[in-house]
Amino acid sequence: MTSVSIVERGGGPPQRRRRSGGGFSYVLPALVLLSLVFVLPVLLLLLRSVTEPTLGLQNYAELVESATYGRVFLNTFLVSAVVTAITVVIGYPIAWLLVILPRRWADLLFGIIILSMWTNLLARTYAWMVLLQRTGVINKTLIGLGIIDEPLTLVNNLVGVTIGMTYIMLPFIILPLVTTMRGIEPDLLRAAALCGAGRLDAFRRVLLPLSLPGIAAGGLMTFVMSLGYFVTPSLLGGTSNMMAAELIAQLIQSLLNWGMGGAAAFALLVLTLALYALQLRLFRRAQAGRA
Amino acid sequence: MSKLLSVGALFGAAILWSTPLLAKDMVFTSWGGTTQDAQKEAWAKPFAKQSGINVLQDGPTDYGKLKAMVESGKPAWTVVDVENDFAVKAGKDGLLEPLDFSIIDKSKLDPRFVTPYSVGSFYYSFALGYNRDQFRKKTPKSWSDLFDLSSFPGKRTLYKWSAPGVLELALLADGVAPDKLYPLDLDRAFKKLDTIKPQIIWWSGGAQSQQLLASGEAPIGMFWNGRIDAIRRSGVDVGISWDQNLTAADALVVPKGTVDKEAAMKFIAFATSAQAQADFALLTGYAPTNTGSKELLKPDVRATLPDEHTQGQINLDMAYWAEHRDEIAKRWYDWQGK
Repeated sequence: MTSVSIVERGGGPPQRRRRSGGGFSYVLPALVLLSLVFVLPVLLLLLRSVTEPTLGLQNYAELVESATYGRVFLNTFLVSAVVTAITVVIGYPIAWLLVILPRRWADLLFGIIILSMWTNLLARTYAWMVLLQRTGVINKTLIGLGIIDEPLTLVNNLVGVTIGMTYIMLPFIILPLVTTMRGIEPDLLRAAALCGAGRLDAFRRVLLPLSLPGIAAGGLMTFVMSLGYFVTPSLLGGTSNMMAAELIAQLIQSLLNWGMGGAAAFALLVLTLALYALQLRLFRRAQAGRA
Repeated sequence: MSKLLSVGALFGAAILWSTPLLAKDMVFTSWGGTTQDAQKEAWAKPFAKQSGINVLQDGPTDYGKLKAMVESGKPAWTVVDVENDFAVKAGKDGLLEPLDFSIIDKSKLDPRFVTPYSVGSFYYSFALGYNRDQFRKKTPKSWSDLFDLSSFPGKRTLYKWSAPGVLELALLADGVAPDKLYPLDLDRAFKKLDTIKPQIIWWSGGAQSQQLLASGEAPIGMFWNGRIDAIRRSGVDVGISWDQNLTAADALVVPKGTVDKEAAMKFIAFATSAQAQADFALLTGYAPTNTGSKELLKPDVRATLPDEHTQGQINLDMAYWAEHRDEIAKRWYDWQGK
């Protein structure tokens, strides 16, 4: 058994992918399944958005005209962008630490990050609520230390949402970053040092460019996931920074206004895809520019 | 080996999958948490024992899901606990089975909460709750105290969603007579709410409301009465004012096209019986909808229930809300977001 696989792997040049169309038939079942499970429901919702309550585009017209929906969407993208930026800034050094730490410590740190991911989302969000509130640990500590006199308003507003979401999103940026960083030869950094680069230069001109794909992948994932976030903004946010998912859930679950809910969901999807395409394009251009 | 395992898994999955379809099973859906636990204890368990019909629990209630199930033609839910204004609207929209009152005895049920498609499952009040630690000298008494920032400073917490309750209490605080509440004067209500808007922390679920009150984060606010009761029983010093408490009921409904209509009717008949309603009230602090339940409860328990506080009690008008919920919602979110 073992010997066979060695022979297979070792024997001959690596096989190029065959050019015949045979590959397509392999992905066909997966494609059908994905279409049924993901594409079809979206299309049905899209259909509802132009047929309920009556045939036409009135839901979309209202979406564009209403200041409320506009504000909710703007807020959604703003919060997602802020959260993404902060997760990159915090996640980057943690990811690098995971790469350079001795194995045992890295495993421990990794365990903590994974464990936080596995803990119930609702429980984590409530925990933040308790920590951040006016009578919470953070405010009490700061007052006790004499740093502030009045409790800070850290929750039920944008600050609360940002802190909670950043915390929840961190693993999603750290993991892709670690994968990318592990692929970077440490020798390159040593070589940079030998050539006279200071730490900052080595970071700016060697590490950062090489880890850029990780930042792009992780950042995009964080951004897109943030756009659809529901529980955390609902519990830690105020009403002036409601996010799109909450509004859509409310329209569909409680008000049974599926036409409007569908229109809002579809608009969010289109905007997300547009941003995704834009980032992909910018990223490709940046890569091509360097090559 | 792995083949055997996967066959076993498939078999297991098949059994699990088919369970709700067996004739002797039904699915009861409610809001989860302590309320559903109590419904399971007081209604589902004894009902299963008596009838031989096994009651599976699902939740939380989601109107979108209910509508989708009915439209798909085979709802998996047999009986669902919903809010009363939804019951009224869904009955009109053809999402519900008419109830069979030859099985369900409505002669003993509070007529305020009975429609052709629903009966009250329990009733609650929105009442004024406060944390005594923060208001030692003077305690708040009425909805207008909720708006009195100088006598009762601090954050206040109100129900976040566009639903019966908040607008009504704002109007009452502004001096509108209880019998003149409907149709709601939205301009006036929002104007009144504007006066405390920066001080409002919105709660979106019962557990959150309890957390806010118990921690003192928001020492005063509107709450479901059962939630205040639960905090008090856990040892936190909270007070409640029943002055102009606003009542509404949850309702039991049957999604249209459900597989086992008869089991549904039997379950509802059982759940609204005097004993089952009394048992549920004992566990939750919400009031029974069966008028015969009172005598089955001890006086000290009865004192905590909304049906002992009918003096000045105001019924939220579910028919009005069923009609106007959409348009109110638009203004509600618009105002909240500003």
